[in-house]
Amino acid sequence: MKIEFTLNGEAIRVEAPASTTLLQLLREHFGLTGSKPGCEVGECGACSVILDGRVVNSCQLLAPQVDGREVTTIEGIHGPDGGPSDLQLAFLEFGAVQCGYCTPGMVVAAEAFLRRHPSPTRAEIREAISGNLCRCTGYQQIVDAVEATAARRRDQAEGRGE
Amino acid sequence: MGEFTYVRPHSLQEAVRLLNEPGVLSRVLAGGTDLVNQFRKGEVLCDRVVDVAHIPELRTIQDGTPIRVGAAVTHAEIAESRLLLERAPILVRACRQIGSPQIRNIATIGGNVVNAAACADTLPVLVCLEAQAIVVRAGGVERVRVADLVTGVYETQLPPGGLIQAFEFEAPPPGSRMSFQRIGRRQAMAIARLSVAALGAVEAGNGNRVSLLRVVPGAAFARFQRATSVEDLLVGQQPSTERIVAAGQEMARLFLQESGGRWSAQYKEQAIAALTERALHEVLSP
Repeated sequence: MKIEFTLNGEAIRVEAPASTTLLQLLREHFGLTGSKPGCEVGECGACSVILDGRVVNSCQLLAPQVDGREVTTIEGIHGPDGGPSDLQLAFLEFGAVQCGYCTPGMVVAAEAFLRRHPSPTRAEIREAISGNLCRCTGYQQIVDAVEATAARRRDQAEGRGE
Repeated sequence: MGEFTYVRPHSLQEAVRLLNEPGVLSRVLAGGTDLVNQFRKGEVLCDRVVDVAHIPELRTIQDGTPIRVGAAVTHAEIAESRLLLERAPILVRACRQIGSPQIRNIATIGGNVVNAAACADTLPVLVCLEAQAIVVRAGGVERVRVADLVTGVYETQLPPGGLIQAFEFEAPPPGSRMSFQRIGRRQAMAIARLSVAALGAVEAGNGNRVSLLRVVPGAAFARFQRATSVEDLLVGQQPSTERIVAAGQEMARLFLQESGGRWSAQYKEQAIAALTERALHEVLSP
């Protein structure tokens, strides 16, 4: 069936069987392999994408469910120059990446969260990434990176910069 | 996943017509967080998926007498609703604890009810609120108590071709309090092992006696029903600690009677008594 949606800011029109998951569509049709297949039952968050501003598991969505809607994948999250975003740089700075398999989903979940909650507590950050499993880092560094990014964005919004 | 087509109706009428089209086996999809998993495992087959997530009548939370919550409202939307936080805080609390942000952002209250898992978090709460489901079918509209709608684990009496439009419940009376107690293996992404929803009021002018009490256990029994023998120990009485402990024991007795000697019963017997006590203290303590 025909599916039309906005993918990382670009209007898309694609033909796919209704039983295709959004994750399959992203990876196999568009070659956007940043969204990872992990558990494929909605437990691990490795396939997280942003749908109309909210984080969702792309493995649990049928591709036609996003018709007419706006999808942002990890490939659509970057700095103004196309390089890593502030959040992605913070992940590197704080050692929030080891094997890296959870990282795209983690960044997507954290980015969706920060856009809605610019001044989160540590507990709120932990809650925000509670649907993303990481078996390497122990989460502390990830929470550190998200917390630092929130603080830096607030500073920047107030014109203090760094 | 089997092959099927997908259709997205934009009105209730259109949805009901599609669901009742002869010769086409249709399945309702709201968020899909249960259904897509079932498709993948081959547990469910159909010719056509009818996505009801964009039907306006299923998407609204309305104040009034009764309060109405559309069946395709997501758990995240309930969790963020100021109206429901004020009028039915246990529903907000239950929805905040479901799954993960990813699940809450897409999964719906109607899906949670119709999937009818024994661990469904909205079910004990809706039964505690004495909610009714507005069921739309080809022949018309009927109201079914949520307590009657779910007939067993993963079983409902939703008629074929029927669709839940919304849930309705009266706001609990002023002066009443509510509690939702839940334990899982960990806080996030863990299904409820046991839960207890309670609503109660103590009448100050009547020697501090319990004037209203509803207690509904979750994840404990095949159906979601008020535990009336637990309630009876307290209604009309002063809510002393002794009576609350006895009510917890009565809940444990009910649980053992129905679930028998499962391996987890020894733990759950004590846990459900403790959850019941906590819920009762929260709704009945001065």
